[in-house]
Amino acid sequence: MATETLDVGAAERPVRLALGRYFSHPGAVIGLIILVCWILVTILAPILAPYNPADLVARARQPPSADHWLGTDMLGRDVLSRVIYGSRISISIGFIAVLLGGISGVILGLLAGYFGGWTDTVISRFVDALLAFPSILLALVVIAALGASIQNMMIAVGIATLPDYARLVRGTVLAIKSQPYVEAARLVGNSHLRILARHILINVNAPIVVLATLQIGSAILIGAGLSFLGLGAQPPTPEWGLMSAEGRQMLQRAWWISTFPGVAILSVVIACNLVGDGLRSALDPKMRMG
Amino acid sequence: MRRYVLGRLLQLIPVLFLVSLIVFAVMRLLPGDPALLMLSGAEGGAITPERLNELREQMGLNEPLAAQYLNFVLGALQGDLGSSIRFQVPVIDLILDRFGSTFELAVAGLFLAIAIGMPLGMIAAARQGGWIDSLCMTLSYIGSSMPVYWLGLLLVLVFSFTLHWFPSAGGGSFEALILPAFTLGLLSAGVLARLIRSSMLEVATEDYMRTARAKGLFPRLIIFRHGLKNAMIPVLTMIGLQFGALLAGTVVTETVFSRPGLGRLIVDSILSKDYPLVQGAILFLAVVYLLVNLAVDLAYALLDPRIRYGN
Repeated sequence: MATETLDVGAAERPVRLALGRYFSHPGAVIGLIILVCWILVTILAPILAPYNPADLVARARQPPSADHWLGTDMLGRDVLSRVIYGSRISISIGFIAVLLGGISGVILGLLAGYFGGWTDTVISRFVDALLAFPSILLALVVIAALGASIQNMMIAVGIATLPDYARLVRGTVLAIKSQPYVEAARLVGNSHLRILARHILINVNAPIVVLATLQIGSAILIGAGLSFLGLGAQPPTPEWGLMSAEGRQMLQRAWWISTFPGVAILSVVIACNLVGDGLRSALDPKMRMG
Repeated sequence: MRRYVLGRLLQLIPVLFLVSLIVFAVMRLLPGDPALLMLSGAEGGAITPERLNELREQMGLNEPLAAQYLNFVLGALQGDLGSSIRFQVPVIDLILDRFGSTFELAVAGLFLAIAIGMPLGMIAAARQGGWIDSLCMTLSYIGSSMPVYWLGLLLVLVFSFTLHWFPSAGGGSFEALILPAFTLGLLSAGVLARLIRSSMLEVATEDYMRTARAKGLFPRLIIFRHGLKNAMIPVLTMIGLQFGALLAGTVVTETVFSRPGLGRLIVDSILSKDYPLVQGAILFLAVVYLLVNLAVDLAYALLDPRIRYGN
């Protein structure tokens, strides 16, 4: 494929090119801005939140007003403050779950693709079996076994996203492991570990980063869904899915309790998806956005 | 074709084996003794060691793990998934009782997803780069970034509490099916629309499409006869996967709308630690999901000869 001559001394060029491609998509830039804002919110929560998220600060079920921009919930807690503090929990659920699933999925995929043979057969069958469950169902299986809590939910969502990484990495490794530079590295006497880390992983990192970014969004969605069902965060935690569940019973009288946490999730997930798509087109010119 | 069908059926066996193994393993990983849970959960009163041992014997828990697994699989093959701790009736009866409602919801959701997503994706592809394209893709983007339960709550708020068109909860009637079906269908419609768009755009660059255009066929005919037919292959796979996602999505949707379905049953049984029921219901849904995907694979092997001879 690559037949152009190498332009020596332009090592930073691919990075700059990729950045240029990324910032040429308005959607990707908007997504990045939203995401950065949310990350700032998680960090600055104590400064930004007008009230303590656990305090009963006003009468229950007050509609949005100047004192309480997003109203108060069924106990009289400030919804805005709870949404702000909730970002810490909901967003870290997404990141940690993806980290867990990503690391284990990448390791499985590397081993399966690189060693082949029995290793590949065993790992691939295992991954196939995980893929036989729709991801929420797989998460439910894990929660059924471990019990309902935030930590277990992160593990559950991580396991539910693991097969995607394993499949992606295995496929890419299969494609590049017979490349001359990998053969060369092997002939020179490098250890398997070194070849995997220095020569193979480095060439599959772009698709992994793209997948992980897109997965953060879906991990946040699954996590919020599980908390909504009562299988994740437990009261009085200010978690977005749980907040919607708590407001559900009084949706007719106090719509703001359930709806605002959902707006927060929607904006975070859209931002993750926009950034993911932007990264995809920046890192892989073959798959540019429409 | 027969060889292909047979091959695909044979491939299903190891996957089913592993799926059952995972579900079984989950049951064993549980902290606590299922027999003890059953005694404390259902029978109340004093738990005597004799009664516990009797029950363990009865549930086959005193046998080696391999034998327990074998019993589980043999039972499952004959439709025996054990008894529910909470309801004290066979798990399979509970599942079959609730599955109808869940299946109905998933099928209605899939129908809406196709009815909304297909035209949306096709229009977007035909008018690539135009404002209709941007609008369709923005809508599908928002749709696929929304929490299922939240969309359900919004629909209830608007169409049930404000407009009073549909009931907000319950099952059994056609009116009660509409909002949950839209909740599920709208989300999948977004995914489908995007896929159909990209698939049609990809097909549009193929040689046979250029030939069709060069022959001077009507653009509409080209889109439907040549474009859509070939673009449908990845879309069909996706529909199969989406049906699984819809089945899983019913878990949340049934809770939002208080529908008595299999998904709600699974959540309740996890919360009440009714493990035989969790195990049986999840195994059941996973098998349904596998069979649906098998049916989709066979359907497109039927449509596309390249697939049945390729592998």
